[in-house]
Amino acid sequence: MSTGTLSPQIPPAPPRRRLISPAAGAVTAVVVAAHALAWHATEFSPAALVQGWRGMADFLGQALPPDLSWQQVLLPSLRAALITLAIGLLGTTLSVPPALGLALLAARTTAPNRWVYQAARSILSFLRAVPDVVFALIFVTAVGLGPFAGVLALILHNTGVMGKLWAEAMEEIDLGPRDALRVGGASGIQIAAHAVLPAVVPQFVGLLLYRFDVNVRSSLVLGLVGAGGIGFLVNQSIKLFRFDEMVTHLVVVMALVVAVDQLSAYVRRRIGA
Amino acid sequence: MTPADTTRRSSPPAAVVEAGDPALVVRGLRKSFSGRTVLDHLDLHLASGEFLALLGANGCGKSTALRCIVGLETPDAGTVTVHGHRLGAARGTEPAHLRRQTAMVFQQVHLVRRRSALDNVCAGALGRLPLRRSLAPILFPRALRQEAMACLERVGMADRAAEPAGRLSGGQQQRVAIARALCQRAKIILADEPVSALDPAAAEQVIGLLAGLAHERGLAVAAVLHQPQLALRHADRVVGLLHGRAVLDAAAATLTATDFEALYAPDHRPAEQEPR
Repeated sequence: MSTGTLSPQIPPAPPRRRLISPAAGAVTAVVVAAHALAWHATEFSPAALVQGWRGMADFLGQALPPDLSWQQVLLPSLRAALITLAIGLLGTTLSVPPALGLALLAARTTAPNRWVYQAARSILSFLRAVPDVVFALIFVTAVGLGPFAGVLALILHNTGVMGKLWAEAMEEIDLGPRDALRVGGASGIQIAAHAVLPAVVPQFVGLLLYRFDVNVRSSLVLGLVGAGGIGFLVNQSIKLFRFDEMVTHLVVVMALVVAVDQLSAYVRRRIGA
Repeated sequence: MTPADTTRRSSPPAAVVEAGDPALVVRGLRKSFSGRTVLDHLDLHLASGEFLALLGANGCGKSTALRCIVGLETPDAGTVTVHGHRLGAARGTEPAHLRRQTAMVFQQVHLVRRRSALDNVCAGALGRLPLRRSLAPILFPRALRQEAMACLERVGMADRAAEPAGRLSGGQQQRVAIARALCQRAKIILADEPVSALDPAAAEQVIGLLAGLAHERGLAVAAVLHQPQLALRHADRVVGLLHGRAVLDAAAATLTATDFEALYAPDHRPAEQEPR
């Protein structure tokens, strides 16, 4: 008969833990082997880095102090930084409608059927898999050098990334409100609008702000391939061996990235995302 | 003698059945999950103006029965008839129209926490709104918002209409969920353990509200309960489920402790007791 008290007998000893299981050992071996191969494939050599110190010192000698002349360097740098910011902003906001539409079709909770679900997933995978730099190179050939190509590139790539992340957020919601509205005869679109989307607003806004942060940094790289903004100036400075100008541009870039990061983090904190 | 044999299957009081139309009739409902039978030829009926309590131990099929009736689960066999129309056999626009006649109130409430109580109640009417007036709360017609306020007033929550649902207490949220069912203009309300997460006072209030909707508005209301005392106080009729079958069907006023014992601890029922 149970008395509700613990038995005075000594409980059996817990099973001994193995230091490492065979599966964990195999995984560790594979990971170590992969790193060894990667080391070899990339010709990774700390010795070469040490031997090349003189080249690094020459570079730093030419780059420092940075050229802070207002008219020639700093003002164009700040203007280009604003263009970079604009590329990131438009690239993010204009990707919201297509990302949202595809996310609704690519989430199991809202997709009308599995064929549409698979098709939407495939489109998102393609857009995500192609780097924004590649999209930028394609659009530069279509619309010419300049920020417009950068915006188009970011819209496509960002649609893929945000669409996938939003679809996953939609798949993780509590399905209760959806069931409640379904019982009431609501259609799929009504359920998405009134049960699914309201449940994921914080994640949506959080991801949107994070992607804005990422896109501003991406638009710097896009400038290197001719898509305008401060990346374009960095590229020019390198080609002209004006490393002191380049450092000025990089300082402006750093200030821009930190400002966007802080703003994004602040807003995400405020909305609890 | 099996537990089923020891419980009674008496007809509900004639006064209750005749008081309203047969709103809901369930015949031979069967449902299995991964080979495990949860509903085993369940028969059930519910009249307009009647408050029915569904009792039974965990896993006996009460919630599955309700989910099959409202279409959230597809039964393996059996029929569900709402006001004389068999669901699934209807054609054209009838299924959606018939489905809307049955609303469900859930244990976990299932409100959208960030939306106001009023918007949540309005959402109950989505099934009858055109798409262009229903894609966002701001598009809801004024008449619907007024109707939703009346529903909130009925459940005593009109003064909290603007409050986000997530900020309301459990009992208040459940009352808003009932208001949503009212705004759906459902004639049948099925409540799946609506008071399991509530304190006794809130539970009394919610069950009293459901009983009032049956007795004053003539709705057909069935609630899964785990509190026999609540069922005895408020329900007209009690149906007890055991292993997916209805093994007890009697007027609440005639039930005894032995009947409940048979439902919740069938193995411990004295073998010598004769069925009533």
